[in-house]
Amino acid sequence: MSAVTTAVAKPDAGAVHTARQLLVRHRGLAKLVLLAVVAAVVVPMVNSRWGSGSWPHALTVDPSGSLGKASNWIIDNRDSSPVFLYFFGYVSYGVGYAVRAVYLVLLALGWTGVTAAATLLAWRFAGLRVAVTALVSLALCGALGMWVPTMQTLALMVVAVLASVVVGALLGLAGGLSDRMFRALRPVLDTMQVLPAFAYLLPFVWIFGIGVPPAVLATVVYAAPPMARLTALGLRGADAGVLEAVTSLGATGRQRLLTARLPLARKQLLLGVNQTIMMALSMAVIASVIGAGGLGDRVYQALSTVDVGNALAAGIPIVLLAVVLDRTTAAAGARLGSATVERSGRGWPVWAGIAALTAALALIGRLLNSASWPGGWTVSIAAPVNSVVGWITGHLNSGVPVIGGTADWAAGFTTWVLDPLRGGLQGLPWWSVLLIVGALAWLISTWRTALTAVLAMAAIGVLGVWSVSLDTLSQVLAALAVTLVVGIAVGIVAARSRRVEALLRPVLDVFQTMPQFVYLIPVVALFGAGRAAGAAAAVAYAVPAVVRITTQGLQQVDPGAMEAARSLGATGRQQLRQVQLPLARPALLLAVNQGVVLVLAVVVIAGMIGGGALGYNVVFGLAQGDLATGLIGGTAIVCLGLMLDRVTQPAAATKER
Amino acid sequence: MTNADSTTSAPVFSVRNLWKVFGPKADRIPGSPEADLSAEELRARTGCTVAVRDVSFDVRKGEVFVVMGLSGSGKSTLVRCLTRLIEPTAGEIAIEGEDVRGMDRAQLRDLRRHRAAMVFQHFGLLPHRTVLDNVAYGLEIQGTGKAERRARAAEMVEKVGLAGLEGRRPGQLSGGQQQRVGLARALAVDPEVLLFDEPFSALDPLIRRDMQEEVIRLHREEGRTMVFITHDLSEALRLGDRIALMRDGRIVQCGSPEEIVGSPADEYVRDFVRDVPREQVLTVRRAMRPAVAGEAQGGPALSPATLVSEAIEAVARSGGPARVVEGGRCLGVVDHQRLLAVVAGIETEKVAA
Ligand SMILES: Nc1ncnc2c1ncn2[C@@H]1O[C@H](COP(=O)(O)OP(=O)(O)OP(=O)(O)O)[C@@H](O)[C@H]1O
Ligand SMILES: [Mg+2]
Repeated sequence: MSAVTTAVAKPDAGAVHTARQLLVRHRGLAKLVLLAVVAAVVVPMVNSRWGSGSWPHALTVDPSGSLGKASNWIIDNRDSSPVFLYFFGYVSYGVGYAVRAVYLVLLALGWTGVTAAATLLAWRFAGLRVAVTALVSLALCGALGMWVPTMQTLALMVVAVLASVVVGALLGLAGGLSDRMFRALRPVLDTMQVLPAFAYLLPFVWIFGIGVPPAVLATVVYAAPPMARLTALGLRGADAGVLEAVTSLGATGRQRLLTARLPLARKQLLLGVNQTIMMALSMAVIASVIGAGGLGDRVYQALSTVDVGNALAAGIPIVLLAVVLDRTTAAAGARLGSATVERSGRGWPVWAGIAALTAALALIGRLLNSASWPGGWTVSIAAPVNSVVGWITGHLNSGVPVIGGTADWAAGFTTWVLDPLRGGLQGLPWWSVLLIVGALAWLISTWRTALTAVLAMAAIGVLGVWSVSLDTLSQVLAALAVTLVVGIAVGIVAARSRRVEALLRPVLDVFQTMPQFVYLIPVVALFGAGRAAGAAAAVAYAVPAVVRITTQGLQQVDPGAMEAARSLGATGRQQLRQVQLPLARPALLLAVNQGVVLVLAVVVIAGMIGGGALGYNVVFGLAQGDLATGLIGGTAIVCLGLMLDRVTQPAAATKER
Repeated sequence: MTNADSTTSAPVFSVRNLWKVFGPKADRIPGSPEADLSAEELRARTGCTVAVRDVSFDVRKGEVFVVMGLSGSGKSTLVRCLTRLIEPTAGEIAIEGEDVRGMDRAQLRDLRRHRAAMVFQHFGLLPHRTVLDNVAYGLEIQGTGKAERRARAAEMVEKVGLAGLEGRRPGQLSGGQQQRVGLARALAVDPEVLLFDEPFSALDPLIRRDMQEEVIRLHREEGRTMVFITHDLSEALRLGDRIALMRDGRIVQCGSPEEIVGSPADEYVRDFVRDVPREQVLTVRRAMRPAVAGEAQGGPALSPATLVSEAIEAVARSGGPARVVEGGRCLGVVDHQRLLAVVAGIETEKVAA
């Protein structure tokens, strides 16, 4: 950069000419030069006025006072203000009532009825294999002594998913039918999709307090966007030729929607339901922090006392639930495509049969007087697991010859990577951080994107959480680096070997269905609580997606180009370096973008296991009822997520989406 | 295929000075000086494309009216304007004297439901429905009862030769079979006019021929009026009672296949029909000359509609000129010279019939 600036500064005509050529040829360089010129003017001014340290105090506003007042007002008026009485109150009451009702139905069905219903539904939607999976999974939930919390989570999920699907489908319908609506919705949905789940909790607690209703509502807001997005895209993507044919037969608008557009979009609709369910589960578990209860709460309670055994006992049912729900809905979608199932005629007797069998089994359970899972059939894994964890702590944590120990690694990672990175970031002049963010975003995308990114970063400073956010950022960057190295390396190997890919696929499938929260359990067992553990969980959570995107990107490289390279006698390594990787560049950029989003999501949750930084601000705010701190932390997380997404999102991808 | 009464009855579609302009402020283009600019210039200056330009024609009852032209000449746009699937920019369209452009939504729906049905190049079938339900779809839209529409659909499926495949989905059919479903769907609503937009372009040549036979058979059996879009000249000549040739949105010539091939209106049309085997399109009516002394008595007798290729055979067999006879009256004669001139594409002065 400096070389170019001097070239421009020189009055020598020849040099200016070549510099201009250089700039015309490399648009990136041109942007950098422009930025450098702007910076050369602005920075000295800014510097003389506010200094070059951390974010200047003069530029912050402290909203905690007014936020505190506002939340006090809310607490005082929750029972008297008409807004609360007649709107939020009813919403809260209705949601709570619905969850209770579903929970009571699940209790009334008893373990026999619920297991029968789940198995039969899985069989109906997804076939025998998934039905067996469902049966075994539910039995395991019971055997682990987690029947009641599983039912609590399930009740919350049923209500949240139904609401998400309805809300999402309605929004998607609006976006699918109206261009203006679509243009308005799209950026909002795109942005919501990259924000960490943790950031959604606070506003609901603010208004509704702690409990099931805010947990459900936060879940709905988090899980509805994919449904809305896919519904809108599905409706808009309908084959224009088919729609024209339908119109040519004289169909009314409603007939067109009901008999053509919606059925044509049904694959996307089901995919939307699938994604919504998975996101809802992920959120329902995290929302235990705000009183959702159920399995998430068990994990949360156990983790807060580093009781890995109990955390695992509650974590396993979460994973099983995730797997069953994902397989059932995914298989239902796949079946639609094959179109072998004849729906008409055979439909209702099957449903009646399922209902009858469920009722019969529920009744049998009742007669045997065992509504909840029989106590004698449970196995407590907490004690043995904890002794294993004890053994790990004793033997693997440190002092293992040659390789050291897990705690040593964690300590090493903290001292040699996280601390210097955090120190370095916090030591940077505040304006240089903004400049770097702007430069990166502008290089990869448009000036608008760069402006958004810079404003998001500046907002963090203005909120007065600059150095805490840089702490979070340092964890994100460290985890991201590891994620990319591991993920891309594994992705390359998988792309080059069918056997490795076949071995990896089921593992990736399971990893990608697990809710973020669950990843905290094993890392606490291995690395203890702390920032390194959080980073490890983030890596574990983000690597599968990066591997998958890399593999797909490499495999989709034009076979013609590969053949040409081979015919020229390129070695395998040359093919990879000179053809595959450059051609797979868009996929790799996408992998970086996804990696950032996923890593951030887990890094902030790691605030619960000693990750500190912004995540801790949120947890602290919730635990101490200091909503101002929590809200500011949540807002900073949103800004950080926005900034990181914009910095890693290529312009082309923005256009395509 | 020619119907005797085709010239006397009222036209099914009557189109006058029809324009379709795509782009911003499209309604300002028709009739303005800009309309005479070349396509690129117009696009550069106004951002508009003229797809249909001042087109007028009549479709007579019972005829197969073919619209032919190269890709981008505006055929699809024109046929979609007929039922306002594309809203015309200017001009008049009447179906049996009723103004189509003035229809409100309900009337337009009624027109599409009962009077004109369309068959599309890319079929436009609903992938999630069975063959039978696809064919019954038009009736379902109209609100026909389930049993009735299924019975009628089954009849149509039979008619287009798909009996036995009622339960399949479009994805499980070949292209030709899918287009038969499209055809059956259009027939099921018993429309007055069938509109075809390049229905067989996506099919391979053998299947295409089959399907053309199918259309010819249907037309012969039912005498339904058809508007048929194609870019394939041989298809146009096979099917058309009359052909309208389009170029850059304009109709450059409209007439019977014989007129198009025998007397092209301009160089463009002449180029277009250059490779057509003329003896298989032109009739002796066009090739004959007045009989000179004695010729009106001897030699084989041919009707005026006899193709030149058949006349060649007759002349070659008899060794002398053949007479063209209509209603016992000798209109003229054809000899070696006249027939060869037709094959060679040499213009001869036409004899008034
Ligand atoms: N929706 C549209 N917007 C703008 N221009 C259009 C639109 N539809 C068609 N055109 C233009 O109108 C002209 C005629 O198109 P049309 O589809 O009618 O041609 P065609 O004769 O059917 O061609 P083909 O044989 O390829 O189907 C073309 O130049 C096309 O680019
Ligand atoms: Mg066309």
